[in-house]
Amino acid sequence: MEIKKTLNGNELLVAVEGRLDTTTAPQLEENVRSSIDGMKSLVFDFEKLEYISSAGLRVLLAMQKIMNKQGSMTIRNVNETVMEVFEVTGFVDILTIE
Amino acid sequence: MVYVQLILLTLLPSVVTCLLYWCNKWCSRSSFFAGKGKIVKKIIFGLVFGWAAVASTKLSVPLGGALVSARDACVLTAGLVFGAPSGLVAGFIGGVGRFLKGDTYTSLGASLTTILAGMVGAALRKWMFDDKRPSLFYGTAIAFVLEVVNMLLVFLTNMQNVRESFLLVESAALPMIAINGLAVLLSMLAVSILSGDFRHNERRKDRLRLAEAFSRWLLCCVVLAFVVSFLFIYGLETRLAYSDAESMLTLYIEDVRDDINDASDENLLALTRAIREEVEDLGSLNRAALVELLKKYDVSEISIIDENGIIVESTTLIYYGFDMASGEQSKEFLVLLDGTNELVQRYQTVSHKAGVAMKYAAVTLSQGGFVQVGYNSQRFQRDIDERVEGLTRNRHVGEDGFMLIANNNFNLVSDPNDHEGESLYATTGLKTEVGGEWQLTREVVYGEDSLVMYGVTEGYYIIGVMPMREVVFGRDMSLYTTVFIMIMVFAFLFLLIYFLVKKLVVENIQKINSSLEEITGGNLNVSVDVRTNKEFVSLSDDINSTVQTLKGYIKEAAARIDKELEFARTIQLSTLPSVFPAFPDRTDFDIFATMDTAKEVGGDFYDFYLLDDNRLAFLIADVSGKGISAAMFMMKAKTIIKSHADNESDVALILTRANRDLCENNEAEMFVTCWMGILDFRTNIVTFANAGHNPPLVRHKDGRFEFFKTRPGFVLAGMEGMKYRLGELSLMPGDEIFLYTDGVTEATNSRNELYGDERLEKCLNGLVGMNAKEICRAVKKDVDEFVGEAPQFDDMTMLSLLLMEKDCISLDPKEENMETLLGFVEERLEASDVPVKTIRKMSIAVDEIYSNIRLYSGATTAKVECSVLNSTVQLVFMDNGRPYNPLETKDPDITLSAEEREIGGLGIFMVKKTMDQVTYEYMDGYNRLSLRKSFD
Repeated sequence: MEIKKTLNGNELLVAVEGRLDTTTAPQLEENVRSSIDGMKSLVFDFEKLEYISSAGLRVLLAMQKIMNKQGSMTIRNVNETVMEVFEVTGFVDILTIE
Repeated sequence: MVYVQLILLTLLPSVVTCLLYWCNKWCSRSSFFAGKGKIVKKIIFGLVFGWAAVASTKLSVPLGGALVSARDACVLTAGLVFGAPSGLVAGFIGGVGRFLKGDTYTSLGASLTTILAGMVGAALRKWMFDDKRPSLFYGTAIAFVLEVVNMLLVFLTNMQNVRESFLLVESAALPMIAINGLAVLLSMLAVSILSGDFRHNERRKDRLRLAEAFSRWLLCCVVLAFVVSFLFIYGLETRLAYSDAESMLTLYIEDVRDDINDASDENLLALTRAIREEVEDLGSLNRAALVELLKKYDVSEISIIDENGIIVESTTLIYYGFDMASGEQSKEFLVLLDGTNELVQRYQTVSHKAGVAMKYAAVTLSQGGFVQVGYNSQRFQRDIDERVEGLTRNRHVGEDGFMLIANNNFNLVSDPNDHEGESLYATTGLKTEVGGEWQLTREVVYGEDSLVMYGVTEGYYIIGVMPMREVVFGRDMSLYTTVFIMIMVFAFLFLLIYFLVKKLVVENIQKINSSLEEITGGNLNVSVDVRTNKEFVSLSDDINSTVQTLKGYIKEAAARIDKELEFARTIQLSTLPSVFPAFPDRTDFDIFATMDTAKEVGGDFYDFYLLDDNRLAFLIADVSGKGISAAMFMMKAKTIIKSHADNESDVALILTRANRDLCENNEAEMFVTCWMGILDFRTNIVTFANAGHNPPLVRHKDGRFEFFKTRPGFVLAGMEGMKYRLGELSLMPGDEIFLYTDGVTEATNSRNELYGDERLEKCLNGLVGMNAKEICRAVKKDVDEFVGEAPQFDDMTMLSLLLMEKDCISLDPKEENMETLLGFVEERLEASDVPVKTIRKMSIAVDEIYSNIRLYSGATTAKVECSVLNSTVQLVFMDNGRPYNPLETKDPDITLSAEEREIGGLGIFMVKKTMDQVTYEYMDGYNRLSLRKSFD
C-alpha cells in the first residue's frame, strides 16, 4: 500500500493506493493520525484503492470520529468493490462519499 | 431276337442320358465349360444324341412296312433334358440319318418327325418349362403326341395309296407310341433319380400350379369329349359300314341274279320260239304233236291258249279249258293278247296247283293266241346249271369279298375257291340257320369273320360274303384319323391354354405377388400396376387402396406409439439425474453421466446422490434386453437400489438386498449388471461392489486410464441368495473414474468391428484437462465416428467422476504469512480466470478469516484449500485452534452512527454478506470454515 499525503492549508488529502487490510490498516492509521491535528478537512482519495477489509473500515471509522470533532471527512473516487463493502456494512450512512 | 432289339431300343435313350448327366456334372465341377463353353457343351451333347438317334434307326425293327425305333425319343430327351441346342442338333442329325436310310416309303414322314421332335423339345423346354427339366408326365405326353404326329405325317406323305399306308399306320402306331413314350419316360425317370428330384416331387404333390390345374381339368374335359365323340363316331361309322356293305352285297347279288335270270330267260325263250315255229308249221293242233314237241325239246309242258285266254290244247290233260285269267300266275300271260309278243316268267309256284314250281315262257302265235312252254324244276336245273357254274368265280365284292352260288340242294355251284360240287355248309363253314333272304348276317366263312347276305333266284342261292375287316376298314380309318387329329388338337389346345393362362393370369399374378411380397416386407410405397384386363385392374386398384388405407392406419398408430414412447422416454429420463452441474455447490468433485438409448426407451441407467455431505453414491447398470420391457425393469431396479442405499451404506449389502428384491416375481427372467460405489470425500476411498458389470477405468493423478478389474459377482436378479463382495479403491484429488455399459465397447461399425476396450482406453488417455462432461462428450464423439452409418444396437451409457484437485496451503498463522496466503489464493484464482472483482472479494474474506484465526483461535496450523469448479470458487479454512463457530456471532448493528459503532464482528459479518455460502464444522480437531462464491 502506498499513501500520498497532500497538505493544503488546513485541508489534508490522502490518496491510498493498493489494499487496505489487516496488514496495511495500521500504517494508514498511524500515518494519518500523525498529521491530522488541526485539520478542518480530511479527504481520502480511493481512486487507486483495490479493496478494503474490516481493518480498513476501523481506521476510517476512527478517522471519522476525530473529524466529526474538528471538521469534516470526505471520501472520493470510491470503486465498486469498496462501495459494496461500505453498503454492506452500513458505512455509507456514516461516511461522506463524493 | 426282335424282343431283345426292342428292349435295346427302349433303353438306349436312358443309357445315353445317364452317361451325359454324369458327364455334365463332371464338366460343371471342372469349370472347363463355363460361360460360352456351355453352348459348346450342349452342342456336343446334341451330337451324341444325334448319334444315338442314328444308331436307333440302325437297330430299328421292321413291322408292317414301317421301322419301329426310339429315334424320336432320343431327340426329344436331348431337347427336354439337356436344353434347346442339344435338341435341335440331335433332331437334325437323327432326321437326316433317317432320310438317308430311305428304304421304306415312311422315310420322309419319319425324318420330318425327328427334326420336328428336336424343334418341339427345344421350344417347349425354352418357352413352356422356363428352361427347366419337365416332369415325367409331360415328357411322356410329348413323346406320345409326337408319335401321333409321326403317324399322321406318314399317312399324309403317302396319300397315293391310302389303304396301304393306313394298314401300315394301324400296325405300327401302337408299338411306336409305346416304345418312344416308354423310352422318354425311362430317361426322365433316370435323370429324376440321379438328380434327387424324384423324392422332392412326392412332397410337392399337393400344391398344383395354376396352369397345371387348368390343364388337368382341360385334359379331363377333352378326354370326356374324346370318349363321347369316339363312341358316337364308332356307332355311326359302324352303322354306315353295315349299310354300305348291305347295299354293296345287295347290288352284287342282284347282279348275279340278273345274270342267272337272263340266262334262263334266254334259254326258255329260245326253246319257246322254236316250239312256236313247229306249232305254226303243224297247222292243226293235236295233243300228240305237242307231246312230240315236248319230247323233242325236252320241256315239261306245252299249252296253246286261244284269243280268249282259254287253254285249248296242252300236253297236260288237266289243263284243257283252263281260263288263264283265273290264276294269279297265269293271268300275267294275258298281256300277250294285247300286243306283247313274248313273256318269260320267273321260276315260281303255279296258279293251278299249289306246291308245284315251274318256269313259263310264252310267244304269240300268228293265227292268234299264244303258245306257253314250261320247265319243271329238274328240267330247269339241268338247263341252267352249266350256265351258272363258275359264274361268280371271278367276281369280287369290294377288295376281298366274294360271291358263292349254291343250288337248292345246298351244293356249291360257283365258288372262287374252286369247291364246286361240294356241300355249301361243310366247305365254307356257313351255318344252316342263316336268316332270311336279303338279310345281313354275321358268319364265319372260310375261317374269316364276314358279313353274309343271300338272294334266291331260279332255285339258286346267291351268297355275297364280305370279310369284316373290309367292312370296318373305312370305319377304322376314320376312327384312327379322328383320334390322331383329336390328340393333336388336344395337344395344341393344351399348349394354347397353358400359354394363355401363363400370359394372362399366371404372369400377372406373379407380378402382383412380387409387389405384395415387397409390401409385406415393409415397403408400403410399392403400388401394384397390372392393367392387362379388367379383373386385374380392379384387383390392382383394390390392393393399392388397401395398402393406402393400411399406410394411413400404420402412420396413425406409429404416431400414437411415438407419442407414448416419447412420454415414456421423458419419464425415464426424468428419473435419471440429468441436471448438470448436479451439485453446483460442490467444487471437490465433478460428475457427469449420459445415456443414449438405441430405441426410444432404454435398459441402461445410472444414478448418483449424496448420502450426506461427505459421501457420494454412484452407479451404472445395464438391464438385459432393450426397449419397453428393459425400461420398466430398469425403473424397478433403480428404485430398489435407491431405497436400499437410503438405509444402508455398505455397497455390498445394498446390492445383496437389491438382488433379493429383484429376484422376487421376476417372471420375465430379466437381469441387471451393476457397478456401484460410494466415495467418502474425507478419506477419498471408494467402496464398491460389482454385479457382473464391465470394469471401470480409473486414472490416478498424472497417470493413465487403466481398467480397474476385480472379480465381479453374479448379475442382479439372476439368482436368489447371491452375496456381493465389498471392494475398495483409494483415490486422490485429481483422480478420475469412468464407468460405462457394454453399449460403448460393443458399438459396431458397418464392417462389423467392435469399438472395444482398447479403443476406449486409448480415447480416454487422449483426453487431457477435460471436465466430466467434456470427457463423456468426447468418448461419445469418438464412438460415433467409429460407428459411422451403422445403426446403434444397444443403449450407450457413461458416467465420469472427477475428484477435483484442491490447491492447498498450510501455514503457521502468523502475520507475516498473510502475504503468502493472499498470493497463493490470488494466483490460483487468476489461473482459473476468475474475475478481478470476485478475486478482491475473496481476498477480503481471506484477510478477515485469517486475521480471526491468527488473532483469536490459538491455532498452531492453518490450512487453506482453494478450488474453482463450475464457476464457483471455494475456499476452506482449517485450523487446529479452539472450536469456534464464527457463524454464531451476533451480527453488528450497522444502522448506528459512527460514534456508537462497535468495531468488532464486522469482518465475519462482511464475509457472510459477500459470500454465497459459508459453512462451519468442527471435525477431527479442526475448525473447518468453508466459503463459496459463484461468478459469472
